Amino acid sequence: MIPLTWFIGLGLILFMIGVAGVLLRKNIIIVLMSIELMLNSVNINLVAFSYYLDDIRGQIFAIFTITVAAAEVAVALGILIALVRNRRVLNSDDMDSLKG
Amino acid sequence: MILERLFFILFAVVAIAAAGGVVCFKNPVHSAFSLIVCLLQVAAIFVLLRSPFLAVVQIFIYVGAVMVLFLFVVLVLDIKKASLETFPGLKRWPVYVILPVMAIEFLIVIFGKSFAHMQMAEAGAETTVEVIGLALFTHYLLPFEIISVLLLAAMVGAIIMAKKRWN
Amino acid sequence: MLLTYVPVLFMTGFITVVAIGVLFVSSLVRPKNPYAEKLTSWECGIESKGESNTGHYKVHFFVIAILFILFDVETLFLFPWAVILGDPTIATLAFIEMFVFIGILSVGLVYAWGKGALDWL
Repeated sequence: MIPLTWFIGLGLILFMIGVAGVLLRKNIIIVLMSIELMLNSVNINLVAFSYYLDDIRGQIFAIFTITVAAAEVAVALGILIALVRNRRVLNSDDMDSLKG
Repeated sequence: MILERLFFILFAVVAIAAAGGVVCFKNPVHSAFSLIVCLLQVAAIFVLLRSPFLAVVQIFIYVGAVMVLFLFVVLVLDIKKASLETFPGLKRWPVYVILPVMAIEFLIVIFGKSFAHMQMAEAGAETTVEVIGLALFTHYLLPFEIISVLLLAAMVGAIIMAKKRWN
Repeated sequence: MLLTYVPVLFMTGFITVVAIGVLFVSSLVRPKNPYAEKLTSWECGIESKGESNTGHYKVHFFVIAILFILFDVETLFLFPWAVILGDPTIATLAFIEMFVFIGILSVGLVYAWGKGALDWL
């Protein structure tokens, strides 16, 4: 049987890669993909604990996480399209109109 | 069971490599395909965790719908300008220091003694769709209905954002 | 138990290897001589004009994809619902609840239709 720690370790590494993507990349599409990566690593943790604790709630939570992620992607990409159409920027550093 | 561990290592290594690709590729299309590979590996890991329903959901929501949306956006937008970005940005050097330190710290905590005594209950058989359905439609009925309102709000918001001009 | 998934894994691996192998072998053999005329979308016929000339798709595809993603999420909840409908104790409640769910989502479809998001210009 696979130790639980392996799954948590995998989730941790994927989450850290996602954080690195959010912090290092400027292309907003890739930043959004990195956020998806982070949500997925959390799902791994939820399902792993659900399996090892023999509790269905982790999986239900993971299903809701996936659903919310789908809704979030739809809205985020809609905002991105509106942004590119109005401001012609696809770079997170150029979006500084609130900076004063 | 040694075979299971070998398969886990295979999936984990491919998933981590693909996740690295998502962050490192310059072209968003390459990143998107790398993310698809990563999500498929995560689906395989869900199968190892005896949750085949989650694996199927992962494939047909994430790979089938979310990534299609990402690729559509890449096709709709002009990616030529975006691919000029310099990477890795050495200007943000604290990230290269803090993230590995945090990751190693967490790994030490996870693999250290503090978790080792938490030997989990003997894992059960595969979770069937029926068990999930029963839980979803008895205890989690309210979240399930609220999800529909959330999806409605997301749909309306996304359509308003994406439409060009309202006459 | 888990061994029942091994054929799926083998099929996936086999397909991946075949696809990459075919592309790799053909990249060794095929002639490679691209020039501007050859790289256009249509080597014969009429050049594309207007919005499609830039090679970008219309935003309209994105709106359709959003509708697709949300109804895809709906099918995710239809699977467990369909499985438990055989259980007589909660079948009636689950049946009604699912139609409430679909009804709320249909409001979004009606909205999109009314706003003209489904009109194809």
